[in-house]
Amino acid sequence: MPDLIDGSQDVSVHGILNWIMLLGIFSVITVIGNYVGYKHPMADSLIGMAILSLITLAGVWMERKLPLNISSIIYISVMGILLAFPGMPTSKFVLHYVSQVELLSIVTVFLAYVGIGMGKSWEEFRALGGRAIIVTMLVIAATYYGSAVVAHIILTLTGVPAI
Amino acid sequence: MHASILILVIVAEIIGPIEIHLTESVEVSIMPLLYTMLLGLIFYLDKRITWIERKQARVAEGTMMLFIGVLISKLAISSGQSMHLIFDMGPALLLQEFGHLATILVALPIALLLGFKRECIGMTSSIGREPEVAVIVDKYGFNSQESRGIFALFIVGTIIGTVFISFLASLSVSILPLHPYAFAMASGVGSASMNAASLGPTLAAFPGMETSIEAFAGFSNLLSFSIGIYIVIFLAVPITERLYAFLEPKIGKKYIVKEKEDGENA
Repeated sequence: MPDLIDGSQDVSVHGILNWIMLLGIFSVITVIGNYVGYKHPMADSLIGMAILSLITLAGVWMERKLPLNISSIIYISVMGILLAFPGMPTSKFVLHYVSQVELLSIVTVFLAYVGIGMGKSWEEFRALGGRAIIVTMLVIAATYYGSAVVAHIILTLTGVPAI
Repeated sequence: MHASILILVIVAEIIGPIEIHLTESVEVSIMPLLYTMLLGLIFYLDKRITWIERKQARVAEGTMMLFIGVLISKLAISSGQSMHLIFDMGPALLLQEFGHLATILVALPIALLLGFKRECIGMTSSIGREPEVAVIVDKYGFNSQESRGIFALFIVGTIIGTVFISFLASLSVSILPLHPYAFAMASGVGSASMNAASLGPTLAAFPGMETSIEAFAGFSNLLSFSIGIYIVIFLAVPITERLYAFLEPKIGKKYIVKEKEDGENA
């Protein structure tokens, strides 16, 4: 059971060189997928992936090195938002290259890794049985619709035109 | 392993999305991201593929921490670009976090009818990704029934959550007349991979709105991991406790206790 929540501290992925190498591999795979699926020019999307990888690297590094107890997700989000903020000197450059990388290309590669990582939980999953699956599906569906319906009501109340 | 993934990705992108028409207007689209995930799982499980075993699974799991960063920074860049829109939609973005509480009303009674006991508190108070698991374990202790409940939810969610929410989103966008932004915000309820998986069909259904839909989904996911946690701690868990105390004597099933232990010895 402790296995469940320690994924992010995995011993096998340590050291900044290791991170750079992995991000490099990930970028190359994504760029190829991005080319095959969406025909975006490889050189531009490679620069886009390099920008995204640098932000990630900085965020992960800050999480480890800065004395604040803030997760890398927060650092990465703040940096990304700032770099792309309209009016920032970086925004045109960043947007041009990053828009060449489709979100779905990144996700497609990411989920391949998730799939392999998921294999570890397979036995536990099989042991849980049907009732746990029913409850889980209900929980996900209810959370999704709860969120969608509330968002829809507020959007309608605040007069956001449906497009 | 990385080479195998490269091949998987190329094959998946060549196949492209498959659209299944259930009726004239209802369609479910299966995105390449689902093939790569399922094939990744099959690669691990298939005994003939000897170069992807438990060690590679641990590496893959560890790399997720890095690769999630790439995903988040892409979403953050979309958010930064659409910051004015996000300020305009602030109320909806914040209040939809409370919509997550719907799970308690729907799932708790059913979980009780299915014969779960205190596990319900962990199982039905939230969507049960990493931060929520931490909340429940912190409050009830690692070996409590409540924690066992959320561990079950976590494992099942890990395996089926991504696929399930992708189908759900794909079906919903074609049959429910809700605002595109509402779907975008709803896709941010769970983990980053669930977010991405439900975003796929949403993006496909509303072409031309990619950046704003990505922005709302990313921001909503960020809120789920920050503000959402406080909602779980201060609202969801107490409400689940109350409702449990109220409903359990009425519909809780006593005779199933023995059977329940068989099912729960995971």
